Amino acid sequence: MRNSLKSWVLGGVAALALSTVALPALAQTKTLKFVSWQKDERGVGDWWASVIKEFETKNPGVKVEWTKVERGAYADTMTTLFAGGKPPEIVHLASFEFQKFADQGWLEDLSPYIKSSGLNLDGWAGQSSCQWKGKPVCIMMLYFGNIFAYNEEMLKKEGIAPPTNWAEYVAAARKLTKDTNGDGIPDQFGTGHETKGGGGQYLSELMNYTLDAGGRWTDNNGKVTINTPQMIEGLARWKEVVKNSLTPRDLTAGETRQMFADGRIAMKLDGPWLYPIILRGKAKDQIKIAAPPFNPPLGGSSNILGMASEIPADTKKLVWDFIAIATSDKFQTDYATLAASTPPSPRAKTDGAKAATPHFDLLVQTAQAASKAGVDRIPKGLEIQYNEFAKMIMEESQRMIIQDLDPKAVAATMQAKAEAIQKQ
Amino acid sequence: MAGGRFSLDLARPSRQHWLGYILLAPAVLLIAAIIIYPLFVSVDLSFQNVGIARLDQPRRPFTTANYERLFTSPDFWNACWVTLKLIVIVTSACCLLGLGTALLVNNRFKGRSLARLFVAMPWAVPEVIAVVIFAWIFDSSFGLMNWIFLSLGFIDKTINWFSDPTAAFAVVATTMVWKGYPFVSIMCLAGLQSIPDDYYAAARVDGANAWQRLIHITLPNLRPVLGVTTILVMLWIFRDFSIIYVLTGGGPLKATQTLSIMTYEQAFGFFRMGYASAIGVVTLIICVIAAKLMMSRAPENL
Repeated sequence: MRNSLKSWVLGGVAALALSTVALPALAQTKTLKFVSWQKDERGVGDWWASVIKEFETKNPGVKVEWTKVERGAYADTMTTLFAGGKPPEIVHLASFEFQKFADQGWLEDLSPYIKSSGLNLDGWAGQSSCQWKGKPVCIMMLYFGNIFAYNEEMLKKEGIAPPTNWAEYVAAARKLTKDTNGDGIPDQFGTGHETKGGGGQYLSELMNYTLDAGGRWTDNNGKVTINTPQMIEGLARWKEVVKNSLTPRDLTAGETRQMFADGRIAMKLDGPWLYPIILRGKAKDQIKIAAPPFNPPLGGSSNILGMASEIPADTKKLVWDFIAIATSDKFQTDYATLAASTPPSPRAKTDGAKAATPHFDLLVQTAQAASKAGVDRIPKGLEIQYNEFAKMIMEESQRMIIQDLDPKAVAATMQAKAEAIQKQ
Repeated sequence: MAGGRFSLDLARPSRQHWLGYILLAPAVLLIAAIIIYPLFVSVDLSFQNVGIARLDQPRRPFTTANYERLFTSPDFWNACWVTLKLIVIVTSACCLLGLGTALLVNNRFKGRSLARLFVAMPWAVPEVIAVVIFAWIFDSSFGLMNWIFLSLGFIDKTINWFSDPTAAFAVVATTMVWKGYPFVSIMCLAGLQSIPDDYYAAARVDGANAWQRLIHITLPNLRPVLGVTTILVMLWIFRDFSIIYVLTGGGPLKATQTLSIMTYEQAFGFFRMGYASAIGVVTLIICVIAAKLMMSRAPENL
């Protein structure tokens, strides 16, 4: 009994001694939370890891707690974190969702930090999209242009040259869609689009066709412009591709990318992120990358980096240090190489990226072509209502295909519904 | 100390019930914190025009606009109709299949333990895994079901299971039945084993055939179990989210959009938490009424 009591006393003294030594050390450790869906993404995930490493080296005693949240659950998780008053200090959001957070006042105005650090954002791709109520609330991390990838072997087998316009593209897609094993089920497709999933991706897939037809959801003043001959033509093209099953039906974007990489889809229009998937696919040696047959190519802002507004001033300074590293010339240059994507900074050196990614110049060209044409996936004037707008477009397009409706009538319905959404 | 000012003599006959209250208090407080408080917040939010809700923000003015909008919204009535259809179809199928399999594995035969295991297996499979399996089975381009139907000559071209409203509803209902029937089966099996063998022996002596024994002995004795099970299955369908969300997301054309999917979409898709709370409150009321109605029709010993 006495021994037991003695051991308890000694244990208590030891714990007290340890705590007096350890507590100041613990107090010196500050943690910044950083939530991202890109953590495990090959290339871009490695780049974020290098930014974090640099930040922690420059700021001893400050750790970045990097957590992955799946893209599908991202908006819910971030909303819950912000609404619960525990937002991540470093805010990473998709460019189509940050507006809701900015509108709530949850994103810090970055203009004082930009000014004091002397960060030059002239020519920074897509940065104008980060303005919210006249203030920069974020830094654009990627503005991309779609590339066109095709399976050269499949096209050669059918005697088809890579298409350069819509007519050639659809003719090729028709010829390449077939049942190769004779079981009555088509198992090779001309092209591939997501037709199952969220409205945002559906809208992006559909825009490949509406942009080439000259259509836009809204004009530069934010006025809805869906009921136009150009948009009707774009919708008719989408209907032709999907209704005739020139794309596999009911697959997600990830599944279609994998099918393309494995040689089950002949042609694919997609962003720079397609290339790392191609490299892991069974058909990687058969795939070639070229300029899209559509003009202008789909492009736009992708994701943003910002700062939570409801955090202490000293923490804000640390978050800006993190943003400053990510936006530095060195790390923008690394971004091009590691992520094989077009860095938004005009000062990034892309020589290394060109050596590592054979089609890097093409990525730059398509991004510039999309930017020059003022293309973005988020329609002007519908930023706040984007999710609802995208869902409406998806449902009306599905209705057009399922009920075999005239694209002209569908465009009129979309116009009326989009105006109603905008007025809410 | 015993006679101290703040002493609590639980041994006194007049205070013996206090111990019960004290022991219950933590559980009551916990329930209040995790059920009653959020429920209160939800009801409160449903009467405010709130986009993204925050507890530290001042309360917005009282309004009934969310409910007015809800009851005039065709989407809401569509969601009610889809939920009702799912409840009727899935509950009926689960009960029939569950009762049938329970009667089957209640008999003595070789391999009965294995059969019982197979009957209960879908219940043990996590919902998301079940959904992934069914998503593959019903894949429009490479799914097993299209291949089987084509091979058997039932169809001459593939069915786009998730692009057709009727087909998508059928897929969701099938998945829910597969996931839900083992629960009914297990409950019925437990109920069947509590029916005394004497009843059946007496019925046989009286010349009752198998059908008569089922109608006059088995089903009446199973009524309490079946009643409770039906209510639980019904409530499960009401609140189930993951099966529909992962399979169809409520589409196409809202053909599988139930009240729970609609609530989620309004809250986290469109950030209308006041409106979403109104849908949640109405769903709760419908659940309570439905459960109460079923309980009131159940026998006294339920």
